[in-house]
Amino acid sequence: MDTVALLRKLSQASGISGYEGEVRDIVRQAIEPFADEFRTDTLGNLIATRRGTEPVSTGHSIMLAAHMDEIGLIVKDIKDGFPRVTDVGGIDYRTLLGQEVIVHGQRDLPGVIGSRPPHVLSAADYEKPVPWDMLFIDTGLPQETVTQLVHIGDLVTLRREFLELSEGYVSGKTFDDRAGVASLAVCLELLASMKHSWDVYAVSTIQEETGLKGATVAAFGLNPDIGIAVDVGFGAQPGVSENESIKMNAGPALAIGPNVHPRMQARLSATADKFEIPLQKEVIPGGSGTDGWAIQVARSGIPTAVLSIPLRYMHTSVETMHIKDIERTGRLMALFISGLDDAFANELGLEGGKGAA
Amino acid sequence: MKDLIKKLVEAFGPSGYEDQVRAIIQAEAAGKADEIRTDNLGNLIVLKKGSGGGERIMISAHMDEIGLMVSYIDKKGFARIGNIGGIALATLTGSRARFADGTIAVLYNEKDGWMGPGTLAECFIDTGATSPEDSPVKVGDVACIHRPFEELGGRLVSKAMDDRIGCAVALQALLDMAESPNDVYFVFSTQEEVGCRGAMVAAFGIEPEVAVAVDVTLTGDIPLAKPMSVELGKGPAVKVKDAGMLAHPGVKKWMVATAEKLALPYQLEVLTGGTTDAYTIQTSRDGIAAGCLSIPTRYVHSPSEMVDYNDVLNSVKLLVGMLSAPVSW
Repeated sequence: MDTVALLRKLSQASGISGYEGEVRDIVRQAIEPFADEFRTDTLGNLIATRRGTEPVSTGHSIMLAAHMDEIGLIVKDIKDGFPRVTDVGGIDYRTLLGQEVIVHGQRDLPGVIGSRPPHVLSAADYEKPVPWDMLFIDTGLPQETVTQLVHIGDLVTLRREFLELSEGYVSGKTFDDRAGVASLAVCLELLASMKHSWDVYAVSTIQEETGLKGATVAAFGLNPDIGIAVDVGFGAQPGVSENESIKMNAGPALAIGPNVHPRMQARLSATADKFEIPLQKEVIPGGSGTDGWAIQVARSGIPTAVLSIPLRYMHTSVETMHIKDIERTGRLMALFISGLDDAFANELGLEGGKGAA
Repeated sequence: MKDLIKKLVEAFGPSGYEDQVRAIIQAEAAGKADEIRTDNLGNLIVLKKGSGGGERIMISAHMDEIGLMVSYIDKKGFARIGNIGGIALATLTGSRARFADGTIAVLYNEKDGWMGPGTLAECFIDTGATSPEDSPVKVGDVACIHRPFEELGGRLVSKAMDDRIGCAVALQALLDMAESPNDVYFVFSTQEEVGCRGAMVAAFGIEPEVAVAVDVTLTGDIPLAKPMSVELGKGPAVKVKDAGMLAHPGVKKWMVATAEKLALPYQLEVLTGGTTDAYTIQTSRDGIAAGCLSIPTRYVHSPSEMVDYNDVLNSVKLLVGMLSAPVSW
């Protein structure tokens, strides 16, 4: 799999929370050869199933989750032909001034987020970030045309070309969490040439950024025995201390904390050791804020782990990461899944397989 | 419909104490439904069966209103209070509270009124008592704001428009509905103001295929309002997003298409604060396509919530139109 090409495609697609269709199509196309079944559920999660094969399916199952949705903007008002917006998910509004956008109106319209020239700002205003109510979009179109083509509730995505930096680093929008989605694809491709006795549900989830909605309903619907959520973590960068970050190009980070089942943690660590995959630790003493937080409390509780791929500048349009960290994450999951056996099921106290959902 | 609205908004029913509202709705719905039951959390579930071949639809309008609870009574008989839901503090001073048994009390604050209280801890209520012994209320007693229904031209004002106006719209839709292929569960829900908890369990129990909350939304049409395109009198609002959820795009389309088919005015809504029952319904079980029909309302969570009567009538028509035909988007 050409991970860079896949990430480029995923990153440049538009898929704000609740409207992930374009991304879903790309994911499905990328993993089509490696899954037995595909299903899109009511809220839009893409569920790819690989049945356990060797020696026979045990009926036990694992759910992998990475979210397809991205943070973005939505039109809440139109004044004098300039759409005003608010955010969907936690966009960093300090980074919005001067950005290029795509307004998804009756047709896609290019636009920019304008700002007042610094020359006319008071000293006090110059020091402050521009609040939501002052941000506006300029499409270049006359007021009447804007009113026809743009409606309240239309979505606005940031427009950003994927950029290959040097030495395996890449930069773009929405690596949070399309990088995780790419790691699921890597995992499934590897599994296609491995033996595994557990069923695998690789779920590209929706609406993570607006409250873990997709993972909540997918975990309920699938009722898996165990789960792993893959998301991004704060990569080392200037201005973020070492104890708040994980290292770049040093493999995924395995979360430690209440969101992670100790035996899942131990088994993933052992797998990484055995196959010499670099793995870091990330201490998350409370809510992980990832799909894993929702999966863990679905139904009567699901042993869960959370993997974080190191990423700089989270929730901006220049998220930056090392491509190898995606591949390492996919490989770790594939080897973990391949090693799932009855002994591990017994360790977790799982009864016979729950069977297909 | 105004008599029904007046009866509903003036009823007592803070979150968790919705009995009086439920009794009114139950009486109005009796004989018009195929099944009426109250679940463990107090939701009133009214089923109108369809002729077959349709969807299982849940409509949710919440019966509860924001309110107050007595937390302490001092030596002189003044009572201290906690809030049930998001009471607008600035509106309490000089208002009156009404308890379930009809006891009336004055709300005031330690700062002698002029600027309103800084915190709820500075508020107290005066029941006319002079000691804990002769206090007509006790710790744990619950009050709503006391304020009658008024008509101001084409606009209606009262406490508890949020969301008795939604209850009125849902109830009127039940009464107006003719033939429909759909099984419609009208849920008059509890505890919305403290986390949409009634709708959460009702949705789990009913397992609908589609759900629509009927609730109030804010407007951007008052002096110095933040940018928001919803106005009173411009028709029911079709929710796209609020702070808790994104409406299912299909449900939004279904609502817009129905409004256009019936030539009803409508507005699209993006709300940056607050949410509705659709928030908890959406993630019930393995996911439910949920949206919200909003009635534009000024001064939400104050004692003087204002709606436009034509918006109310058009909301009923929109809801009846949606429920009477096969669901499609």
